[in-house]
Amino acid sequence: MLKRNRELILPTRGRAPGFRVELRGVVLSLIATGSWTVREAATLDRELNSLILPIPPSSEFTGEVDVSHVEQLDTAGAWLLHRTVQAWSAHGIGTQFVGARENHSILLDEVVRRAGAMQPAPGKSNALVRLLADAGRTFSELGRDAVLLTNFLGSLTTVLGRVIVRPWRFRGVSFVHHVESTGLRAVAIVSLTCLLVGAVLMQQGALQLRDFGAEALSINMLGVLVLREMGVLLTAIMVAGRSGSAFTAEIGAMKMREEIDAMRTLGIDPMETLVVPRVLALVITLPLLTFLGDMMCFLGGGLVAVFYLGLEHAAFLERLHDAVSLRHFAVGMIKAPFAAIVIAMVGCLEGMKVKGSAESLGIHVTSAVVKSIFLVIVLDAIFAMFLPGLGL
Amino acid sequence: MKNRRETFGPPEVVIRIDGLSKRFARQVIFTDLSLDVFRGEILGIVGASGGGKSVLLRCIAGLEPIRDGAIEIFGRDVDKLTRLEQLDMEARWGVLFQDGALFGALNVLQNIQVPMREHFDLPQNVMDELGYLKLAMVGLPGDAAHKYPSELSGGMRKRAGLARALALDPEIVFLDEPTSGLDPIGAAEFDALIAKLQRTLGLTVYMVTHDLDSIFGVCDRVAVLADRRIVRTGSPDELRSNPGHPWIRDYFCGERARAISA
Repeated sequence: MLKRNRELILPTRGRAPGFRVELRGVVLSLIATGSWTVREAATLDRELNSLILPIPPSSEFTGEVDVSHVEQLDTAGAWLLHRTVQAWSAHGIGTQFVGARENHSILLDEVVRRAGAMQPAPGKSNALVRLLADAGRTFSELGRDAVLLTNFLGSLTTVLGRVIVRPWRFRGVSFVHHVESTGLRAVAIVSLTCLLVGAVLMQQGALQLRDFGAEALSINMLGVLVLREMGVLLTAIMVAGRSGSAFTAEIGAMKMREEIDAMRTLGIDPMETLVVPRVLALVITLPLLTFLGDMMCFLGGGLVAVFYLGLEHAAFLERLHDAVSLRHFAVGMIKAPFAAIVIAMVGCLEGMKVKGSAESLGIHVTSAVVKSIFLVIVLDAIFAMFLPGLGL
Repeated sequence: MKNRRETFGPPEVVIRIDGLSKRFARQVIFTDLSLDVFRGEILGIVGASGGGKSVLLRCIAGLEPIRDGAIEIFGRDVDKLTRLEQLDMEARWGVLFQDGALFGALNVLQNIQVPMREHFDLPQNVMDELGYLKLAMVGLPGDAAHKYPSELSGGMRKRAGLARALALDPEIVFLDEPTSGLDPIGAAEFDALIAKLQRTLGLTVYMVTHDLDSIFGVCDRVAVLADRRIVRTGSPDELRSNPGHPWIRDYFCGERARAISA
């Protein structure tokens, strides 16, 4: 045991670039030097952690952290010093700061006052529980979505009825604008996609059927498949990705800026001004685009038939003419307006569901595209079950 | 507080803007704009809406290319820095954007730790402790740490944004309209917070503001941006007693300014 009041300097193991530890009599001091900033914090933290106190816990010793030689001090450095004071005090050696200059002592005081506010992160529940909860939420949302969509269809129908009774309330300009943006401006991309898919269908069909010597039958397959399914499905998916998402984004942005609420306070029905023109525009344009898509698929198939398979173009046209009938064309076209209603409704409904933030807009645009494509395919499957029953 | 600089001898210039010109397409924003910012002061930038206050801040922070002139920070021309020097410089200043500009995918604590993670290799427990410390210093409760920006009020987002701007103990902080959108009580608290942090951390504060209360409450010096350049600088009282420019007279001697000085 050391005697009190004896000025004895014991060099200890504590020696690092930013500090040294000395034991003078009964006073253990950490003398901080140089720069104690966030740049050095990693090194200082490591050195301080590996410091072993050379004395046992005892009330006979006191500790001090001497900051008079510190040149630069920031919050990180002040916190490391404060932590040392705390650790030594917890070890049983009452410790305090000494020698702080005025500008440093303001910061040290602030850090001492503010430190220790740490709060544990809220615990995460069991993974299995979370999975089940997620699944439950998803299903209940699915149900709620179905209710909402039905509700939306109902109010759309009433508003449409109102517009038929009072046609002057119909927003003609908006309607024409949406016909242009969903129809005319989609011509290029729908044409190109259908041209390529038609060409691939023809080429793959011919390659597969060649082994059976039935190469020419690939034209029949192209004709029926394109008219009944591919044309309308491809076009609907393109339009869902292009216009359905645009509807959500437009209406959602208006919802975010409270424009929809402003409309309501001005006595304007958003259903009438925003939803009806969009739904009607898409009901007009999607069948037209489907027709264009059908023709482009045939063009693509025809190009492959003539230039790749070496058929006469007259032979291709004759074969195609024999293979398809108006029945096939009607089956495809009948589905287009229904797909249009689904896409436009889902797009508008998702837009209406947008809440204040930009993240919410992004989430709803994504879900509009996913839901409308999914519903278009479900619709197609339902038609595939019922139409044969009608002899189509 | 107002005489702080005298204790350090001649004032050290930390930001020097010299002959800055800037235009968007055909619209001229600044012509021959010059401004010095001294170490340890709270400088308020005032000017008409759409007059380029925020653009000037973006120019200094290196977010907008400049056309003519030079911007020097800590005596270095910011246009002539290498990539590494630029990174090093960016750790020496922090920016608080108008709505905090917190990363929406991260919680408040993680937001504060982003600059620490980017610039230094600190252990997680040290970063956690420092994160909570910064939170407490900007006056946010500890349970805000695990919240996401969308769950915070506007005032809390600004405080969290300030905590992130201060994460590396920068020498300069740029504040873009720190009190806009806050109620008068929140705005006064935020002003007091800025003044206190400025004293504690020895910050240089560059504050774009509209708020007369902030100007008279915390600013040491005010620079007035009008006619595409800085037309005057001086203490708020100097500018009020001797405006010398029609816009400054309208601003400092208008109805609202009189109400504050009364």
